[in-house]
Amino acid sequence: MSLAAEAFVSQIAAAEPWPENAILYQPLREDQILLSDCASSLAVQAYLRMLGLPVRVQCRANAEYMSPSGKVPFIHVGNQVVSELGPIVQFTRAKGHSLSDGLDDVQRAEMKAYMELVNNMLLTAELYIQWCDENTAAEITRPRYSSPYSWPLNHILAYQKQWEVRRKMSAIGWAGKTLEQVYEDVSQCCQALSQRLGTQPFFFNKQPTELDALVFGHLFTILTTRLTTDELSEKIKSYSNLLSFCRRIEQTYFESQDRDSQLGASDYSKGPSLM
Amino acid sequence: MGTVHARSLDPLPMKGPELGVQADDLDVGDAEYEPQQEVLENKDVVVQRVHIDGLGRTKEDFLTYEIADVFRAKNLIDVMKKSHDARQRLLRLGIFRQVEVIIDTSHGEDALPNGLDITFDVKEFRRLTGSYNTMVGNNEGSMVLGLKLPNVFGRAEKLTFQFSYGTKETSYGLSFFKPQAGRFERNFSVNLYKVTGQFPWSSLRETDRGISTEFSFPIWKTNHTLKWEGVWRELGCLARTASFAVREESGHSLKSSLSHAMVIDTRNSPILPKKGALLKINQELAGYTGGDARFLKEDFEIQLNRRLFWDSVLSASLWGGLLLPFGDKPTSIADRFYLGGPTSVRGFSMYSIGPQSEGDYLGGEVYWAGGLHLYTPLPFRPGRGGFGDLFRTHFFLNAGNLCNLNYGEGPRAHLSRLAECVRWSYGAGIVLRLGNIARLELNYCIPMGVQSGDRICDGVQFGAGIRFL
Repeated sequence: MSLAAEAFVSQIAAAEPWPENAILYQPLREDQILLSDCASSLAVQAYLRMLGLPVRVQCRANAEYMSPSGKVPFIHVGNQVVSELGPIVQFTRAKGHSLSDGLDDVQRAEMKAYMELVNNMLLTAELYIQWCDENTAAEITRPRYSSPYSWPLNHILAYQKQWEVRRKMSAIGWAGKTLEQVYEDVSQCCQALSQRLGTQPFFFNKQPTELDALVFGHLFTILTTRLTTDELSEKIKSYSNLLSFCRRIEQTYFESQDRDSQLGASDYSKGPSLM
Repeated sequence: MGTVHARSLDPLPMKGPELGVQADDLDVGDAEYEPQQEVLENKDVVVQRVHIDGLGRTKEDFLTYEIADVFRAKNLIDVMKKSHDARQRLLRLGIFRQVEVIIDTSHGEDALPNGLDITFDVKEFRRLTGSYNTMVGNNEGSMVLGLKLPNVFGRAEKLTFQFSYGTKETSYGLSFFKPQAGRFERNFSVNLYKVTGQFPWSSLRETDRGISTEFSFPIWKTNHTLKWEGVWRELGCLARTASFAVREESGHSLKSSLSHAMVIDTRNSPILPKKGALLKINQELAGYTGGDARFLKEDFEIQLNRRLFWDSVLSASLWGGLLLPFGDKPTSIADRFYLGGPTSVRGFSMYSIGPQSEGDYLGGEVYWAGGLHLYTPLPFRPGRGGFGDLFRTHFFLNAGNLCNLNYGEGPRAHLSRLAECVRWSYGAGIVLRLGNIARLELNYCIPMGVQSGDRICDGVQFGAGIRFL
């Protein structure tokens, strides 16, 4: 599709209101989804909940391949398919829903910088631990990733993915890092986030932004996912304001909303609770 | 090339398949032997020795099966017929570039007065032959490299490798073929391949990587093929605008299937036959040997040809197929049947009949299609006996239907579903035969019974293919 045609389609998309039957697709929750995908999916869910836009979560074993960018999660709204948090934020803004409209330019730039920090540090660290730490890869990542497939396709796909991620890691210079260095990076990232948050309820005072959704998605998933060791979640637990930030968002946007709207457990995909 | 030398006798004309005209058009009968039969018939001869000259890496024991029959000849006519047959059998192996037969009286000490020596003078193919092509089309250019090793181990084993490197896709195929000694029709082959197909009518891209083993053998007048195939299939959308129904099918799947095919072919030519019939039945059972695709697929094809007045031929064909999924998983878009286009139900666009979503055709689980053709020579028969014989005019009537079934409904409901909303078309056109493997058609079609969602091609339609309804 040409740029002009794409622009035209997004113009049309903007004109249509958010439908009731929007669906978010992610890999199978119980057997398949990985830490990094779960974190990204939760971030998008948190973002849409903060905007009050209804979305139903559907788990598909082939979600990764259904996604136009090859990354999960993606949303199917009307006849549009949009994947990953960044494009989804733009898409909702085109429809007139935004969390960051109240920010000035400086704050917006700061927000973007912190979002980049989370993506570059937390997300990359998650990918590193999943695929480059051989213990985690063999015990958790490869069996989970390949669970929907039959032999020998399960091994082929898992090793193909691992090879792909490792190649990406060496491209960004993470291949030579040790696990301890990665934990140290996570710790530094958390420290930066913790300092920025301070005693405020959200990163930019009273109102949540997409940064809050992104940080919540990653921290909450790390805190509630069992890995081979607890070291990663221990790094976060040492920042008490980040912990209470996670609890606050969980209570405000997941538990209370679910109680209000009587949504069934299958309609959201947050997994275990912090309480 | 293609002559039998019989010293001290007038050579008999022998017609081989490599003459410019198609072999099956010429009725090579015994009639040609008749004039000399009176003279030679009664003279008994004994074939004493058979030599094969020019063998390099071919194992001799393998060839004895092919030429053994020559020893059974009792008179000269028999010797010539049988050595001609043996020559054809040798050429059929695909390991000799050239085979010449020399029949001579026996020499040496133990030579009988009526003894004959037969010498097959053969020229083997080179150990390795290669080809190189470039192809352009469909917004894509590609380079095709082919390597062939005929007769690798000296017993007509063939190893072929084809590699195609394109601007968009790369594909390859490696195949090993081994016939049974003396029974070339009983053969075994192993294939390893990767192919990528783009199906714009479904907005679908499919990459298959697979391995298959095949065993072919004749029983009476039928030819059977047993096959096991393991394919890793990767489906994806061809464009961002693909319908969500196709997007949902994206991803990887593994098909492991056992299939059996039976063919009876009494036609005189696979393309534009004048007489004879074809019956093809194919059945595939997937899922019992592993993999995640589980289904039973049945497919048949019948064709009857009858010669009428003035060299015209009436041809009737019927196709049908059924796909039965096992378990709770629905069938995959890659396994379902497609119908329509210039090679099946003419007057409709390629595979553009039946279930669809946002303009992407999803295929059906059951189909049937029938065709009635009247082939006649070109009006006024230009180029008769030569180039003009490659062309035919035809008048056709095609019909067919493709749909999905709810297997709880029972067979009566299924039959009525297939009988309602039948698509059909009629028209006329010109057919060009390309060798003995493909044909081109240029038709004027009038589609009828069009259902909403079908894409039609009203008027002139061009088609090329190897399988025609």
